[in-house]
Amino acid sequence: MGKQLFRYSEANKEKFLESDNITFNDGSTVSPEEIWHYLTEEAPAKYPSAFEVNLYQGNRGSRDETLPTSLKTRYLGLTFSARMEKAKDNGKSIAFIQGGQAVDPYTAADTIALRPGLVNQWNNGLEYGNDINKENLRRKKSKEKAFHDMSFEACQTGGYEHVQAGDLRIDVIAPYTVLRCSDISYGVEAHRHGPNKNVKLLNVDYPLRFQADKPWAIEYFAKNLRRLVNTLDEVTGRKTSENDLLKAIKLHNTGRRLGTELAELWWSADVPPTNSDDRASMVSLGNLEVHGDVQASLSVLKEAKKFIAERVKNGVKGHAVADNPKRLFILGSCVGINGSRSEDAGAIVVGRDDQWSHCSSLVEEVGDPFYNLAKATLEYPYEQSIEKRAQWTIEQIKKSRADGVIFIHNWGCNTQAAISRPIVDIIKRETGIPTYIHERDLHGLRDEQEQNRVNAFVEML
Amino acid sequence: MSINGNYFAGVDVGSLAAKSVILKDGEIFATGLVPSGVNSVESGLNALNLALESAGLKQEDLTYIVGTGYGRVSAPYANKAVTEITCHAKGANYLHPTVRTIIDMGGQDCKAIRIDQDGAVVDFAMNDKCAAGTGRFLEVMAGVFKVELKDLGAIALSATDTVPMSSTCTVFAESETISLVARGEKPENILNGIHHSIANRIAGLFSRVGIESDVFFSGGVAKNSGMKSAIEQALKVTIVKPEIDPQLIGALGAAVIARNFSKKEGLWAA
Ligand SMILES: Nc1ncnc2c1ncn2[C@@H]1O[C@H](COP(=O)(O)OP(=O)(O)OP(=O)(O)O)[C@@H](O)[C@H]1O
Ligand code: SF4
Ligand SMILES: [Mg+2]
Repeated sequence: MGKQLFRYSEANKEKFLESDNITFNDGSTVSPEEIWHYLTEEAPAKYPSAFEVNLYQGNRGSRDETLPTSLKTRYLGLTFSARMEKAKDNGKSIAFIQGGQAVDPYTAADTIALRPGLVNQWNNGLEYGNDINKENLRRKKSKEKAFHDMSFEACQTGGYEHVQAGDLRIDVIAPYTVLRCSDISYGVEAHRHGPNKNVKLLNVDYPLRFQADKPWAIEYFAKNLRRLVNTLDEVTGRKTSENDLLKAIKLHNTGRRLGTELAELWWSADVPPTNSDDRASMVSLGNLEVHGDVQASLSVLKEAKKFIAERVKNGVKGHAVADNPKRLFILGSCVGINGSRSEDAGAIVVGRDDQWSHCSSLVEEVGDPFYNLAKATLEYPYEQSIEKRAQWTIEQIKKSRADGVIFIHNWGCNTQAAISRPIVDIIKRETGIPTYIHERDLHGLRDEQEQNRVNAFVEML
Repeated sequence: MSINGNYFAGVDVGSLAAKSVILKDGEIFATGLVPSGVNSVESGLNALNLALESAGLKQEDLTYIVGTGYGRVSAPYANKAVTEITCHAKGANYLHPTVRTIIDMGGQDCKAIRIDQDGAVVDFAMNDKCAAGTGRFLEVMAGVFKVELKDLGAIALSATDTVPMSSTCTVFAESETISLVARGEKPENILNGIHHSIANRIAGLFSRVGIESDVFFSGGVAKNSGMKSAIEQALKVTIVKPEIDPQLIGALGAAVIARNFSKKEGLWAA
């Protein structure tokens, strides 16, 4: 018996068709008609797992049918794998990145920058026709393969296994080291002995933390950013100029500004104008990197802001959000909680620190762009000392009117594991808001156990 | 007899046992306890039916059912699902309103729960990464010494010395135990050490959430007298003597919550 699949209702089609096109980096566009066709015909056949009606498993997406940009971020997510394949066919260069950086230098050097999550997404999308069970099984098998080839004492093996096995056409591995991520060394080691061991590697050396006010550190890091751009140029055969970087910074500043404005609009609403997944998918557009296409992200972001403003003005509540939901602020790297199941439990995610930290940090546009970018990166609130990061987080928690704070980190994410307790203690001391720390297990029973804790925390609030 | 509006059930399908409690007019009327099978819907129903049978009731006689425990997500018979943290809190508060701290030791995890005078959860911490502090761990140890689980605590209490146990992983603890025996350590002293090691780790959980009297010990492991004593020493507290089988506290809390919900939803008036 076939699994029951979710279908976007025809009732919303008309409004959707009135919305904007998405414009991509290569200048091509896709119309709402084409997106609608993809989401209702093509994608359910290719990726049944993404449409399966299953309460407990899988990424069911937001399913807020009357919010056109929700459908569009869904579209970009589902087409991601195919778009990366196409980009490679057209000779575009792709870099594997890790750490908490903004991708401005990669944009300047005409290179797509993908973090572990996106590398996994690219690989996941290569196989068609799987239901949720089959898809989960396939992902677990690929993790098993990873454990065979590299130390499993890494967070989630970071997606390096795909690079190592040569499953994905990655041209260069260029992470920032020592920027909140303890996993990079494992990954870098891993790729040295796979069939892809000759993939170019550059560690962008980030001066040890808490050096933001030291001119030497900014200079040193700026020099590393130049090395990064040179390495990317060796792959593409281009010559990236200072002006290219300045242009990229300006473009990304536009994204960061819009992302920040959108988040603040969302926070200003009495009732949450979207559910957790939509909030996250729209605010995260601000870094212009999540879909591997800067222009596509920007075009959806601009439109998203318009729709959110409209909803806030009319007091519209997001799909599947409870009345007076408990507002959760989520801390920690790379992972979040299950939005839809937490909504079922009467909660909503109103913010995160990861990504938001660099979305809300604009880069100076006057002067040496390498220096400016280095300075901004060293100043990311997320990368500061525990006390400073906690104070910044408290501000965000207050702005978002959160009722509770959950610090969640991956098993093997050593930096976040080490600082979670002191950060949470400061937040608790200064705001009195209840907090909870959760370590996500490696794959396995984690979904149920994790949700159990989140639900208990929500019940407590 | 006015059947409608009087009976409320809580069903707690844990990783190792399924429990049920039926409340009538605010009193515990019937209970059920069965081992959990792989099918959690079936396990929950078996526990519920056991209580229904002993009470001479049918499922239709129940006004409201709350499901809890890991099996709560697949409990089609329940009107609502609530996590076991909330349920243990309500259950302990219902029996002993002066309780402010709960230790729940079940089959696969251990929970430290702080509650207020109304039985609302104020903070909690749980351990499920390592097997120490779980019923499963003690079951394995009972197996190693070939003794009945129910006698494990009493044997530990008969010890003349404490042999510390450093491993928290069940597999390593098993081999550590075997080498301790080979070294000539007495089984009761090793078991005593095991109970104290677990108690110390539980104390560690409380370093996060704090302790306030009265303290209640729930879950199946609470029936282990050696564990109770070791925890009392580690936390420097006296544990309240439970009025009912402590393994049923989660299900009792679920039944109390069922009563509250049905009242809120206007299905019943006091
Ligand atoms: N008489 C007894 N003496 C000692 N231990 C006992 C006794 N009866 C049961 N247990 C222990 O209680 C455990 C089961 O307790 P309980 O029913 O509270 O767990 P659970 O709810 O199924 O598990 P969890 O809450 O972890 O999902 C068993 O592992 C067993 O070791
Ligand atoms: S979870 Fe932690 S260790 Fe893993 S990639 Fe993210 S920051 Fe790095
Ligand atoms: Mg239990």
